[in-house]
Amino acid sequence: MNWRKVWTIARHEYLTNIRRTGFIVMTAIVPALGIIGLILTVLLLPRGEDVAAWLERQFDIGRKPIGVVDRSGYFTPILPEHQGTFVLYESPEAAEAALRADELQAVLVIGEDYLQSGEITALTRESFGEAAIADSERVRTFLIAHLLAGQVDPAISHRVADPLENLQARILSETGQERGGGMVFTFLIPYFLAIFLIMTIFSSSGYLLQSVAEEKENRIVEIIISSVRPTELMAGKVLGLGALGLTQVLVWLGSVWGFTGGMASLLALVGNVGIPARVFILGVVYYLLGYLLYAVLMAGVGALGTTMRESQQLAGIFSFIAVIPYMLASFVMINPNAPVARVFSFFPLTAPTMMMLRIPMGEVPWVDIVGSIGALLLSLPVALWFGAKLFRVGLLIYGKRPTMREIWRILRS
Amino acid sequence: MILQVHHLTKRYGDLVAVDDLSFEVEPGEVFGLLGPNGAGKTTTIRMILDIIPPDSGHITVLGNSPAAAQPRIGYLPEERGLYRNVQVLDMLVYLAELKGADRVRARQRALEWLARMGLEDRAHSKVKDLSRGMQQRIQIVAAIVHDPDLVFLDEPFQGLDPVNVERVKGVIADLRREGKTVVLSTHQMNLVEVLCDRILLINRGRSVLYGPLAEIKRQFAPHAVRVRAPEIPPGLPGVVAVEIKDGAFHLSLAEGTAPRDVLRALVDRGVDVQAFEVAPVPLEEIFIQVVTVAQDESCATDQEE
Repeated sequence: MNWRKVWTIARHEYLTNIRRTGFIVMTAIVPALGIIGLILTVLLLPRGEDVAAWLERQFDIGRKPIGVVDRSGYFTPILPEHQGTFVLYESPEAAEAALRADELQAVLVIGEDYLQSGEITALTRESFGEAAIADSERVRTFLIAHLLAGQVDPAISHRVADPLENLQARILSETGQERGGGMVFTFLIPYFLAIFLIMTIFSSSGYLLQSVAEEKENRIVEIIISSVRPTELMAGKVLGLGALGLTQVLVWLGSVWGFTGGMASLLALVGNVGIPARVFILGVVYYLLGYLLYAVLMAGVGALGTTMRESQQLAGIFSFIAVIPYMLASFVMINPNAPVARVFSFFPLTAPTMMMLRIPMGEVPWVDIVGSIGALLLSLPVALWFGAKLFRVGLLIYGKRPTMREIWRILRS
Repeated sequence: MILQVHHLTKRYGDLVAVDDLSFEVEPGEVFGLLGPNGAGKTTTIRMILDIIPPDSGHITVLGNSPAAAQPRIGYLPEERGLYRNVQVLDMLVYLAELKGADRVRARQRALEWLARMGLEDRAHSKVKDLSRGMQQRIQIVAAIVHDPDLVFLDEPFQGLDPVNVERVKGVIADLRREGKTVVLSTHQMNLVEVLCDRILLINRGRSVLYGPLAEIKRQFAPHAVRVRAPEIPPGLPGVVAVEIKDGAFHLSLAEGTAPRDVLRALVDRGVDVQAFEVAPVPLEEIFIQVVTVAQDESCATDQEE
């Protein structure tokens, strides 16, 4: 391995790709969002309001009132605290007309013998609405409050209707420090950050695929491998484009850190707000390992295609595997330590993305962190061997895409 | 010797691409590596450049193994290509650096060669904005920008107009003057005749003709003379047949008849001889003849089998 040549190649790849418009736009997007966020916060925030609550409200989907047709008599008139969110209608037709006019979220028709049968007909415009109403905290609170009104002490009635009204969720971190600051700071920013990091793994290994396929498609590879060894070419590309991805990651991490910190101090937020260092450090570790693994595989597969398009098709198999953690993201958000999430954390191709999704969500067992990093470290030499072999042989195959049998023969030889 | 190839063999599955090939290239010469399409020229060049390993045989380039000699070799592949989105000068410097050249020196040489190719004002253009002919010339610069001692040019004239063909011929002449060795592979036999000192003709991976061009031409020359005159009287001694070829008389001679005997006979008979020469044989004809014979023979052996 001639490291001077590796360095020359890495430098060339870095400098060529850093000028790509796509890269500049992607890199600038996070600082830009941060600046917009800061400006909006300063301009829009009413003085003295609870910042966390305000921010959270910005993520709330707007809700319209629910129409009620009361045949049982238990819900007429509507209690003062529910007026506005619930509106009484004389007939189902009138309520339906309002729903059609998009004035209502849903219509509840409460049956005559509701107390015995519990019968309620719910009418919504979207199919998802039915499920939403069935476990909607709002509807439950409304029903309980009216049934108990006048029967028990109003304070008891109120508490029964919403026993978790003032839940204070605090997360104990490993340092024993508590974190507050609401959903947005605790979960959403780290979560989006994780998604961005994952995107970087795929965009930089995608650049790698593109650069290999391009050199092959325009045949310049023939000149290059008359000057350097294929392994040197691969190493140079992996390092150069890895450095490119790392540049992007560091710009993002720096701006997120800066802006969340800036926002927090600007708004005098109390508590240890923001993203714990653990998320940052592990983020970079998983980025590096994940990128390295995907990069060498992409280099090998990229070299097999005869055109850019063909190479991208061949790389599709890895993209598919990489997407699995995304598909499970909603489960991971609810329970970052769900068995399915843990299983995928130990499989090298999904480990970096899965761990990046899990870590911001809460405490992840140490065994998972060590295990996933171990799995990545063990699989890297195998991927390196596999990728280098495909790369070396694939580079000189022009005109015709090799069949699976030929690929198998290459790997065995 | 600049290059020594001994018993080189390369197989792809059942196909023998290069079959026990041996040849040598002398320092400072222009060596023609010729052969029909698919004869194994590119495979041979790739093995010399250490792009692919031979199955058997031995190669010594510039006194070294192919891997060690790489930085001192230049290569214009038949399969052309350049980075499309990179500036010409940056790309040339990068390619020279990959060969181990110093960046500052490479830049200087790249500018020199671009000027020699009439492309000095294109140094900062992107490759995709250039015409094919310009790209072709830049590719030739890419092959020599790192100041190699041995240069492989695979079809350097392909797609060039006559002006640029002259330019590239000039580059080859310059290289030779600088004491570099050039291995030239082309199908344009008229250019081989002008440029090459020695040639190797391969067919189906085997050497079929090898040696100094002048000697080969002599060996293949027909026993005939070419005469430009108003008429050729019948019954000249030693003349077996008279044909008209390319506006001149082509006189085939009997064995033992020297051309000067024919000239004397013509002058004696008062023929107004305007031109007289030993009939030349174009390399193209030798090429076709040798390759066709080889193919006929192999067909025959195939049938016998």
